[in-house]
Amino acid sequence: MKPILIQLARLLGALLGLYAVILALSFVLVPNDHVAGRLDTARASSSLFITEPKYVFMARGQLDSPADKVVLLGASNVMAGFKQEQVQALLPNVEVHNLAVGGSNIKQVGQVVDLVHEVQSPVARQHTEYVIGLWYGLFAADSARWNTPDRVAGDTDIDIERYRYGFYRRTDHGPEPLLPPRYLSVGAFLIHPCLALDRATRDATQSVRGFLSGKPAPLTDEQRNQAVVTPAEQAKYLAFWRDYMGSADTVSQESFRTLEHVVDSIAQGGGRVLLVDMPIPAWHSRGSALHANYRVRMDSELARLQARPGVSVARMTDANDDLDFRDEVHPKPRVAELWARQLVKSLEPALVRADNDAERPALVNAALSSTGSL
Amino acid sequence: MGGERALTLVSLGFVAFALVVALLSNATPSPMWRSGVLLIANCLFVGSYVTSALQLLPFAAFLLLGFVVIEAVRRHPSSTAQWVGIAAITLSFIFLKKYSFLGASLALPFPYLIIGLSYVLFRVLHLLIDARQGELREPIGLLDFFNYTCNFLTFTAGPIQRFEDYRAQRQLPTALEPPLVRESFSRIAIGYVKVAVVSAIFNNLFASVSSRVLAPELARSLSNPAFVFAFAAAAVCYTVYLYYNFSGYVDIVIGVGWLCGQRLPENFNRPFSARNFLDFWSRWHMTLSDWFKTYLFNPLFKVLAARFQRPSVAPYLGVVAFFVTFLVMGVWHGTTSVFVVYGVVLGAGASLNKLWQVFIQKRLGKKAYKALSERPAAIYLSRGLTSAYFALALTCLWVNLAELQALVHRLGIVGLVACYAGLTAVTACAFVAWDRLSALLARRTTEGGAQRSTLARDFALAAQVLLIFAVSSFFHKAPEFVYRAF
Repeated sequence: MKPILIQLARLLGALLGLYAVILALSFVLVPNDHVAGRLDTARASSSLFITEPKYVFMARGQLDSPADKVVLLGASNVMAGFKQEQVQALLPNVEVHNLAVGGSNIKQVGQVVDLVHEVQSPVARQHTEYVIGLWYGLFAADSARWNTPDRVAGDTDIDIERYRYGFYRRTDHGPEPLLPPRYLSVGAFLIHPCLALDRATRDATQSVRGFLSGKPAPLTDEQRNQAVVTPAEQAKYLAFWRDYMGSADTVSQESFRTLEHVVDSIAQGGGRVLLVDMPIPAWHSRGSALHANYRVRMDSELARLQARPGVSVARMTDANDDLDFRDEVHPKPRVAELWARQLVKSLEPALVRADNDAERPALVNAALSSTGSL
Repeated sequence: MGGERALTLVSLGFVAFALVVALLSNATPSPMWRSGVLLIANCLFVGSYVTSALQLLPFAAFLLLGFVVIEAVRRHPSSTAQWVGIAAITLSFIFLKKYSFLGASLALPFPYLIIGLSYVLFRVLHLLIDARQGELREPIGLLDFFNYTCNFLTFTAGPIQRFEDYRAQRQLPTALEPPLVRESFSRIAIGYVKVAVVSAIFNNLFASVSSRVLAPELARSLSNPAFVFAFAAAAVCYTVYLYYNFSGYVDIVIGVGWLCGQRLPENFNRPFSARNFLDFWSRWHMTLSDWFKTYLFNPLFKVLAARFQRPSVAPYLGVVAFFVTFLVMGVWHGTTSVFVVYGVVLGAGASLNKLWQVFIQKRLGKKAYKALSERPAAIYLSRGLTSAYFALALTCLWVNLAELQALVHRLGIVGLVACYAGLTAVTACAFVAWDRLSALLARRTTEGGAQRSTLARDFALAAQVLLIFAVSSFFHKAPEFVYRAF
């Protein structure tokens, strides 16, 4: 028994010594300046965190401040339609953070809210207005959405980040933090070598991975603005969503209950929420039985939720011109600014209600008038 | 089954579990104590794969059947008793493994433990046949039977230890010296580097490349040469993944075994150095190959030799025996029809290999054949041909029958031949480069090895551990241990 314990102790000592050296070296080679400024998951790919879920998980500590803030939540259409810098420019006296994560469903949106709450003080929570972009794709059944071969069945992308570095442990009741959220920055400090190595490896192998996976290169904004969706592509997209949602014609009932829980959770924390009924192209809404089913249920759901304190609703479904979309759900870059202005207009009453400061409406109005109106 | 509680090899839970078992095994030198520790460890390990006693029941019944049959044959060692026993055990195995030809109606209506069943079957049949041959003079106690068949180190996928070896070392007192402990830690770390780093990386690459070959839309977008290239790349990635995954697993269990006072048999001996297909199987999953050689090939060859006694026919009896042995070995790998194809491909490889040896020796004579096969060009060509054939045969492990048909249809004869020829050439060249690099590194290691301090070894070990953690954090999910599914 003794030789094993001695060898274990020697290994532990060598591990600590070696890791200390690697940690110091990693900070020299890759400085820790990746989360400066407002949070914006659109910048995740150029940060040390690489992916949107990891960015949200690791960088959220910045949201624990008493400053008024707007946090954008949803899937990739929120990221494409409400660009952080454009919304921020319209709301100069409020911190605008984009925590939308591509491929999210409402369960994952709720998890992002939980992650934010974990690191926020009660005061910070009261100064947070969430914007959740809703459309039928956000209501994909968990059993269909989070059941791919590359993950433990049921794990969301956020769950994967929770477990990745051992900050959380898996239990029968879901993920439980091993590292108290208040020590998140310590955890991020300690895993810096892993983050740096991951970044360096991905950069070095980017072209090989692109070649092997056969994924096309990302489009430029100009190409996106010129995109036209052909009838064949429309059919392909509709088929994709029927498969993705876990049903060809019915949106998961469970997901609507999850939305309600998310709204409740925000309200209980003292925050506010703006539910944005996001548009999809007219051809898409006409051709999708899922959308029709969603529409009926969502109209009544929104009417019900809107009656709650701290909850407001913005309907943007009229912005559904086919020519304004580059695919089945994402708006073209040229319309993002119009969408941002419409969002800020909808946010205005909520911000006014929330803030007793007499300057607030004037600031919002000034911002809107400087960029014109829809 | 068992979900998150299962003690899978790549979990931290398993590392902690193995460490505790190793420490307890060495608490006293008493063999009885070690057997007790092993019993508890085996129960906890097997139990981690189930969530209720009901899930364990069919497996326990299978074990009990094996125990009863072995004891019955040991007491009454007749040929009839042996064959009845083999039939009862094999049929129970086929039933419990839910072979697809049985249909869904012939399955138990609840989930139950299947992991480890294949390897328990091998051990039970080995004991049964040895009992018939009078090699089990003393009865096997329940404790020994359970610890031997359900040893947590070899439960999932071997290596298949012979019972007499297990029994011999069980009776020896433990004597753990620091050099053996260092060697064990090093072997375990290498095993985890193989599984969690190399096999994980190739698994990731394989997932990317194979999707281009198997997803109809992506496959259509590829030109024929690009498709052949992508298929060959997928086959190579899967082969490397499988080898490092399985040999890493074996390194880990052998290393932990040393710490627990068990000397488990080796299962790999540089298989890609093999110069022909039969040589390959004497180096790959060696304990399985030995098992099939002892309990299928040899008896079958004896039967054939007794039936066909003309000397000119003798070499061809080997061809037939090899085909049948490899066919059965291939079919054993899975429960669906694609594994029959796998068996046929393995059988064809082995029998063609034997036929070639018979033909070329007749044509050139033994001496000239030997001289030819010792030429470096012939060696590397043979290694390339062998590895390429094996890599293509393994396709059956990552496709279903419909996908295999679609693949063959798309490749056509020309594509398949081009793929085999290209893979042979590339792997032969890769082996040349690899051997030269290995020789260079070995020379350097030998020169510096004498001065390498214990401290340097500790830091090398620590570096491997950190590499394992860093690379593991890149992936969503640790790679499955492939052979646990077989």
